[in-house]
Order: sequence, then structure tokens, then C-alpha cells
Amino acid sequence: MIGTFDMLRRQFVMEWKLYSRDRAAMFWTFFFPILLLLGFGVIFRSGSGPALTLVVVSAPEGGSPDAGLEAALEHGPLKLMKLSAADAEARWRKGETAAQLDFPSGTPRLRVNSYLTAQGGAAAQVVQQAYLIAQAKSRGSEPSLIPIVMESPGHTRSATYAAFLLPGLLGLNLLTMGLFSVGMVTVSYREKGKFRRLAVTPLPKWVFLGGQVLHRLTIVVIQSTMLLLVGFFGFGIRNQGSFASLAFVMTLGTACFMAMGFALSSFAETTEAYAAISNLCFFPMMLLSGVYFTLDAAPRWLQTAVIALPLSPFVKALRAVFNDGAGLGEHTFGLLLVALWTLAAFSFAVKRFRWS
Amino acid sequence: MAELALRVRGLRKRYPKVLAVDDVDLDVARGEVFGLLGPNGAGKTTTLEIVEGLTPADAGEVQVLGLDLEKHGREIRSRFGVQLQSTSLYNKVTPREALELYGSYYPKRRPTAELLDLIQLADKADAYHVTLSGGQQQRLAIGLALVNDPELVFLDEPTTGLDPQARRSLWEIVRRMKAEGRTVILTTHYMEEAEALCDRLAIMDHGRILTVGTPPGLVQELRIPSVVELAFDGIAPEATSFARRLGHPVEVRGGLWEIPSQDPKTLLPQLLDAAEAENVPFQQIHMRRATLEDVFLQRTGRSLRE
Repeated sequence: MIGTFDMLRRQFVMEWKLYSRDRAAMFWTFFFPILLLLGFGVIFRSGSGPALTLVVVSAPEGGSPDAGLEAALEHGPLKLMKLSAADAEARWRKGETAAQLDFPSGTPRLRVNSYLTAQGGAAAQVVQQAYLIAQAKSRGSEPSLIPIVMESPGHTRSATYAAFLLPGLLGLNLLTMGLFSVGMVTVSYREKGKFRRLAVTPLPKWVFLGGQVLHRLTIVVIQSTMLLLVGFFGFGIRNQGSFASLAFVMTLGTACFMAMGFALSSFAETTEAYAAISNLCFFPMMLLSGVYFTLDAAPRWLQTAVIALPLSPFVKALRAVFNDGAGLGEHTFGLLLVALWTLAAFSFAVKRFRWS
Repeated sequence: MAELALRVRGLRKRYPKVLAVDDVDLDVARGEVFGLLGPNGAGKTTTLEIVEGLTPADAGEVQVLGLDLEKHGREIRSRFGVQLQSTSLYNKVTPREALELYGSYYPKRRPTAELLDLIQLADKADAYHVTLSGGQQQRLAIGLALVNDPELVFLDEPTTGLDPQARRSLWEIVRRMKAEGRTVILTTHYMEEAEALCDRLAIMDHGRILTVGTPPGLVQELRIPSVVELAFDGIAPEATSFARRLGHPVEVRGGLWEIPSQDPKTLLPQLLDAAEAENVPFQQIHMRRATLEDVFLQRTGRSLRE
């Protein structure tokens, strides 16, 4: 008989061995988050993002009906695309144009695509501004603009979108790990009778579960380290808070989402049913918990509702520590919420967990 | 009398819709190969699951290897081996790894190389589980039931879904177990298998044990040594008027009429006369010894295969 610790170690080593043979799982776990960070980080790199395009309809005889306005736009941030009325109309009909400036009766008019209000609206604002500047200039005055400073909230260090995204991705990884690697695997083991086979051996069940949990924990550590390294070397993002606080928040989150996976697994008999249930939990959290964007513009009730889901306070706290160097004390409420979720999910899982 | 490998008294288990095990008593001696024979849904698997400690019984007593199942679960589990109806392994585990891992759960274990030889998987020892054939996967499942050199082995439908050749190679392994002095308790719905492997068997239907005995003993109890079969091209016709003329009961099964008989020598000419008089379009005529199948048919009025 080998000792219990040795059993646990063997179980853990076996988990890793089998996991390393599953190429697809390895890709989604380790490389997909990095690709997301690299992709979004590069696309939304501050200042060098893709410029907004404004279609400008040229007059039939060439030249511009409003030279002053066009001159002001030339120096602005918009990419101008000068098209004939017919070409501009064709492009508009295809739905590619977000905003268009034309001169139906000699005076300027803005057309904004109602499907693309974000880009179209922003472009329209720039045109309005340019129009005011042009008018002021034609009256001989020299207008000035209010200077803009880009800064991450809560901190003096300017930060990029990649820096905003990184803690969100760390949180998302934990959620995915809990709901899918833990919950889904538990359901499939139960469905396929793997737990039953173990139940007729003298192996204590907790050793088996312990091996699984340890395996997932090492995945989290590797995954997070890889993301942090790519963040640092690719975008110069560094942890602004203390590493102890970061480790504390990450540990709490890991416990929370693992417990959620175990708890959810007791609701489903089959992996198909579990896929439906877990997606029902996954998508609202992923989309509404501030992983990719903040919810500041969302209705008040929605913001309040999301706070109740653990991912939202978790990502907030993580971001505060990581990006703004906040101490744990500044986010007691959010961390308490996450801890409450952990406790609830854990006791539920213990009570409802089934081997067969 | 030596200590029993399994002793069951008054076992009962009710599922919401069905009484799966209904007052079952069993005594299995050490060193025997004991079979539970019955159709699907007879309660064989539920009975095994209860004595393996997987499913709690509603009532009854179970002693495994002389130990009370409820009090000594862990010790019993380390001394028996179990092959469940479906053994799920990881797709990408090799037989060698699986045997090593399961072996590590036990205080006593057989060398992996020896097991691989026994289950004839030495040349597939390092192939992934998904790449093994059905018969090879089943042999591995049985190898896993033997990792701890068990005194008692449970095999739940070990050959279901296997081709005849794979089935025979599994039978060989079971015979080896017996030769090594292990007690084997298996379930099956193949009467040839029960006949070929079991020292004794219990016939089960609707959760009850109908009869227990040795395979030849059970057939002898029938007092019908032979069965005459008339084979038809396609589905056999209705036999009422033929049976009346013959004065013997006739079982219609698929493409066959079966006429059990204590005295086939007298029956045969009568039968041919009746067939000619009724103008029965049969193709062939066989005579065979009665089998366990006939025992089951007589006890339940149904065929095992239905």
C-alpha cells in the first residue's frame, strides 16, 4: 500500500499526463487567452487604432462647396474618403459607411448610419467641431480646444486597453476553468460511470477529487503567469499593486469559480444538459461583468444586477489591485461578495454532490 | 463448511417504477464460478451493484468474503475486483498506465506485465485506449478487476456486444481465474456462456431468483431431454391446428417450431405424419438436447432472447 500522499501525487501526475495529450484543450486553455490579449491589445492600441472614416461627397463639378470646413477636417483625426454622389450612395447602400458628409443644397449635412452609431456618432462630433472652428476662422477669430489627457482611472500612470483587458482575461480564465474544466468534467465522469468504477476500489474519493483540483490549480498558475508575461513583454503592463494582494484575489477567485463548477454539476444528469446550464451562467457573466468593457453606460438596474454575479466584483477588485495598485481594504465589499459566493457554492456543492 | 464468498439474505430494492430485486437469497462458495442468468431488466445488475456496495439495498443482509458489507466496505473493496457493465476510461490512457494507476489504489497488487500477459494485451500495452477494439477494451476492463489479485471477482455482462472470437478469449480468462482459485460471480443473458463457464447458476426474472443449480442439473430437472425443431423459410406459420393433431404443445419462435419431448423416437414419426396431413411447408428438421434456454422458457413462458 502506498501512502495517501503518494496516491494523491500519482493521481495528479496522471491528470497532467492525460491533459498534455489533449492538444485542443491545451490550446484553448493556454494560447487562446494570449491570442485574445495580443489581438485586442494591438487593435485598440491607444492613438494608433484604426481611424474613423468619413465619406465626403464631392460636388459634381469638383472642388468643395465648403473649403473652410474641409480644410479644418484635413487636419483632424478622421480619414476622409472623397467620393462622387453616385459612389457615395452605392457605398451607403452597402452599409459600409458609418458617417457621410454631403451638401444637398450647398449647405453641409451629416448622415449617420443608425446601425453604427458609435463610430458614426463619434465622426459626426468631430465634423461638428471642425464646422465650428471653420466658422470661427471665417470670422477672423482663432478658436482653441480644451486639452485631453489620457489616464487610467484611479492612477496617474497612463494605461492602454491591453492593461484594462488583462485582469478581465485573468478573471475569465478562472470562470472558464470552473464552469468547464471542473463542472463539465465532473458531469461527464458521473455520466460515463468513472466515479462508479472508482467507488468499487479502496481509493478514498477525496484523493481523486484532490488530484483533479490540484491539477486545475497548477493550470491556473501557469495560465496566469503566461498572460502576465505576455502583458509585460508585449505591452509593458506591470502589476501596480502588491503581488500578495494579487495572489490573494486570484486565490479567492479560483476557489469561488471551482466551487461554482462543482455546485452547477449537480444540476445536470448529462453533459448536454450541463452545456446548456453552464452557458446560461457563462455568457451573462462574460458579457456583463466588465471583462471586455465597463458597464458605466448601462442602465442602473443592470449594473446593480451584475454586481450580484461574482465575476463582476472579482474583476473590479483584480483590476483595482493590478492596474491601480489599490490595497485589499479598498474593495472589502466586492471581495466579501465573492467570498459569500464561494461559501454558498461550496456548501451547496458539498450537500448536493453526487457520485452517480 | 468453508466460509462463503458471498452470502445474501432477503435482498430487496425498489426503484420508483419497478421492484428491481425482490427477496433474493444467494450463497456462493469459494472457488466457484457462479452465474446470474436472465434477460435484460431481470435485476442481475442491480443485485451485483448492491453486493459491490454501489447501490444501497432497501432491505436484506449481505456478507462478502465473510465480512459485513456495511461495516467493512473498505476492506472488502481491497479484496474483490469489479468489472462494471461500462468501464469508462480516458481516451488517451494506455493499458499499462491504467493498470499501474488502478494498482496503486490497492495494498496488494499483481505485476503489470503479468496482467498484460493474462489479458493478452502485452503487444497493445502502450496504445491509447481509444485505439483498442471492443474486445481489447473489455479485456482491459477485466484486467483492471484483477490488479489487486482479488479473492472474488464480479463480472457484469463481460461479453455483451463482443464477437464470438472475442467472447471465447474472454471465457479463457475467466477459466484462468477459476484455475487460480478465485471466486467469480458473473451476470449474462447468454445461455451458452452460462453453460460454458458456470459451476452453478441462478436464473433470474423480474427481480426474483427462479431456480439455482448446476447447468446440467437444471436441464435434467426439466425432464425433457430433447427438442425437435422444424425450420421454415422466413417466419414460421401459426401452429394451433398442427399442435392439436399432434397432441403436443408447439412453441413458435422466429423461423422455428419447437416441440419439447421426453421420447423423441416415438414423437418423430407422429410429427412427420401430422406435418404431411397439415401440409406444413417446413424446410428442415433438427433434433437437439434441451438447454438452459428451454429451462428459462419453461419457467417463465418467455424466451431469454426476447
